[in-house]
Amino acid sequence: MRAFKNLREFLQLLDAEKQLLRISEEVSLEPDLAAAGRAITQLSETSPAIHFNRIKGYNNAQVVLNVHGSWTNQAFMLGMEKDAPLREQFFEFVRRYEQFPGEMERQNSAPWQEVVVDKNVNLFDLMPLFRFNRGDGGFYIDKACIVSCDPDDWNNEDVETVGIYRLQVKGKNRLGIQLVPVHDIAIHLDHAEQQGKDLPIAIAVSNEPIISVAASMSVLYGQSKYKMAAVLQGKPYPVVRTGNGLDVPWGSEYVLEGRILARQREPEGPFGEFPGQYSGGHSYPVVEIDRVSHCKDPIYEALYLGVPWTEMDYMCAVNTCAPMYVQLKKDIPEIVAVSAIFTLGFIVIVSTKRRYGGFAKAVGLRVMTTPHGLGYAKIVIVVDETIDPFDMKQVMWAVSTKVNPAGDVTILPNLCIDLLDPASEPPGITHRMIIDATTPVWPDRRGSFGPELDSPQQTDEWRKKLSAMLKELQK
Amino acid sequence: MSRSEDTKGLVCPRCRSEAIEVLTNSPVKGVWTIYSCKTCIYAWRSTEPEENTNPDKYPESFQLKAEDLAKFPRIPTIPALRRS
Repeated sequence: MRAFKNLREFLQLLDAEKQLLRISEEVSLEPDLAAAGRAITQLSETSPAIHFNRIKGYNNAQVVLNVHGSWTNQAFMLGMEKDAPLREQFFEFVRRYEQFPGEMERQNSAPWQEVVVDKNVNLFDLMPLFRFNRGDGGFYIDKACIVSCDPDDWNNEDVETVGIYRLQVKGKNRLGIQLVPVHDIAIHLDHAEQQGKDLPIAIAVSNEPIISVAASMSVLYGQSKYKMAAVLQGKPYPVVRTGNGLDVPWGSEYVLEGRILARQREPEGPFGEFPGQYSGGHSYPVVEIDRVSHCKDPIYEALYLGVPWTEMDYMCAVNTCAPMYVQLKKDIPEIVAVSAIFTLGFIVIVSTKRRYGGFAKAVGLRVMTTPHGLGYAKIVIVVDETIDPFDMKQVMWAVSTKVNPAGDVTILPNLCIDLLDPASEPPGITHRMIIDATTPVWPDRRGSFGPELDSPQQTDEWRKKLSAMLKELQK
Repeated sequence: MSRSEDTKGLVCPRCRSEAIEVLTNSPVKGVWTIYSCKTCIYAWRSTEPEENTNPDKYPESFQLKAEDLAKFPRIPTIPALRRS
């Protein structure tokens, strides 16, 4: 387990481990940066982060992309071996998640306080903002941690929330914010707007990697993301209070302080979103930035978002699986593992023991009623406890040989789903499906399942021996 | 290219409005200018590929009409003011 104090320290580790590509040629903001962000995730599941330090139109700007964009970088973030299998990363993440809550550690000052701009703020001067996809309505900040608190419960640090919401930079200090009712910040804005008051927010840009993972997790209202980050990194999470009274990470490169303007909505979008298509236009709230603080020679971190898989699919993988697993396991201890790594869990794969016939279908139904499952889990595949749900070769073998569509496919009509599911009709309403790919057990006597093949004696010993020899050979 | 404040003759690639303003110029003088449409809030950089800067090359599927903006869903709903 390892805690990184800031993005720079994590980049140093990636550099030392040959997981950071430094691009020293001069690049254009468009289309070079987005193209590189797309291309790096097409190469492999072990792709490095990429860092640019010569950006056309800027004297000194730096951009880093794909910091979370591989299982290798995720393993380093968790302080694990670089080749730690996804299944091991999942169980380690679950182990830490179950320690919640950790502690916040309050500091009086931070490196991001070094440079302050509180007059004539121009975000385009301060950050090398660029277009991600050609149909985007403008220039977006898409990987920032946005902090807000409930104006009706201002001194309660547990309802202070940290989330990642896309921000369209519409003016020098004016942003659009995609804020939908399921986000905790929507509760805060609702209370501020009932009072007719602006909602203070802080936007922390370019952070050490664990807070981005915590910020993009589905947790219960009142579960502090900083206290979640603390258990995930195994150390109290350091924060500093901003001038507008919010806690932000000690290690951020930039901190923007501003307000969501009360009772205003304005056209925003479209934006290329996580299901691999554009979001369409909406009228969303508007933010005005009053003050920007940043480190000297700041690094700007962004995330290319495209048709899966891109960086977001890695960043929002294990952190989506873990809460769902813990919630399910509480009611159904037979559950062995949960994979919700595809498109934020529109498909969920669960491996489970079965107490009796029909049990797997009941597990599938329960997945759909977890907090995250209510908006995702459109298709649930249930497999035997011997199948690793993170290994698609095993899952497809189970679906290929265990499923008889006559009785193993259950369709539930007209349930809820995230509005961004493009197949939903009307948006937000969809049928859902459970695929029971488990071996039937009594009293379910369907099929003619005989004994399954197992591995020859001593296969485990040989695997360890051959793996060590292979590593030696490849040194 | 010099530092630009001039929008004469510019048309929004997305909605074809002529109400265009200079949003900002590059910190290194003369490299690029960002323009913004006052009607639909689309913004583009002068150095982007033509698909994003030229109204005749802008992809049809992303084009907008000014009247479409009023049809955008307003999210989240604005609550009633509390009575003090």
